[in-house]
Amino acid sequence: MRDTEDGAHALEVFLASVERKAFRIAQIALRHEADALDVVQDAMLQLSARYSARPAAEWKPLFYRILENRIRDVQRRRSVRNRVMAMMPWRSGEDDEPAPDPIAEAVDTGPSPVTLLESDEILRALEKAVAALPNRQREAFLLRNFEGLDVAQTAQAMKCSEGSVKTHYFRAVQALRTKLGDLRA
Amino acid sequence: MMGGQAMDSELEQRARALLVGSAENLPGAVRSRLTQARHAALAVRQARRRHQLQRWLPASALAAAALALLVVFIPHGQHTSATAVNPLIGNVAGVDEIELLSSGMPLNADQDVDNDFYEWAVDAANGANGAVHATATNASGT
Repeated sequence: MRDTEDGAHALEVFLASVERKAFRIAQIALRHEADALDVVQDAMLQLSARYSARPAAEWKPLFYRILENRIRDVQRRRSVRNRVMAMMPWRSGEDDEPAPDPIAEAVDTGPSPVTLLESDEILRALEKAVAALPNRQREAFLLRNFEGLDVAQTAQAMKCSEGSVKTHYFRAVQALRTKLGDLRA
Repeated sequence: MMGGQAMDSELEQRARALLVGSAENLPGAVRSRLTQARHAALAVRQARRRHQLQRWLPASALAAAALALLVVFIPHGQHTSATAVNPLIGNVAGVDEIELLSSGMPLNADQDVDNDFYEWAVDAANGANGAVHATATNASGT
């Protein structure tokens, strides 16, 4: 009984520690707040239901693997829907959700010490550049750079070798540097 | 090369700072939704554990009952072994003897019987009787 309570507490602490970054990762990939929230919730539920009995050290790579799978599911569904909609020109725009407005979608960073130093334009440019990366490069960059996973954990989350992680990450940084320079305001 | 690495490092650091800052300053509505999602995930975990417990409880109870039955009946079973004393039929050594007794067969049915001895004994007895009878007849005749 005590173990169960401890396990629940550990899981709650873990989820609280990853939920915001997970949301931002999903939001950057999907460019849609509601979809990002749904994806994060699904990942939390799946981790809790299926993998909470695993050692806590395995949770983070597992959680991000689930999250990336859910992100790809949403991207795939969107792609199929867009293709179907393209074949039905008379329906275009009828039931479509309005395209996400990048300005409205941009996170309200608020007056924090970090964001006071950075302009919204730079953040938006960064998000746009990261979102434009190929999926694997985006995953590697966000997991390594933003979430702070090490190479081994990132490889576990991406289900690939550590060498592939290094390659994807290097290419992602190169692509971002080409687009953004050194990110100075 | 070194300059490229330094530039990459600066880019990475600035990107990290921007992204971490944006994650720390999410709108209240988003934070609230994330908290709800976390609680829902924890509730699912608890429900799943309860379900597992309910699923295993009958089996565990059955196993415990079977164990209790074994504990109760194993000593009794030992008393009814081959060396036990049955109060009804006395000190009978084993089930085989009980079956033999209850079968209705004569106890010596399966033993070798020396029929020659019995025939000789009968003949000898008859012969003795005959000799006595002859002696008596002779005596009365004289």
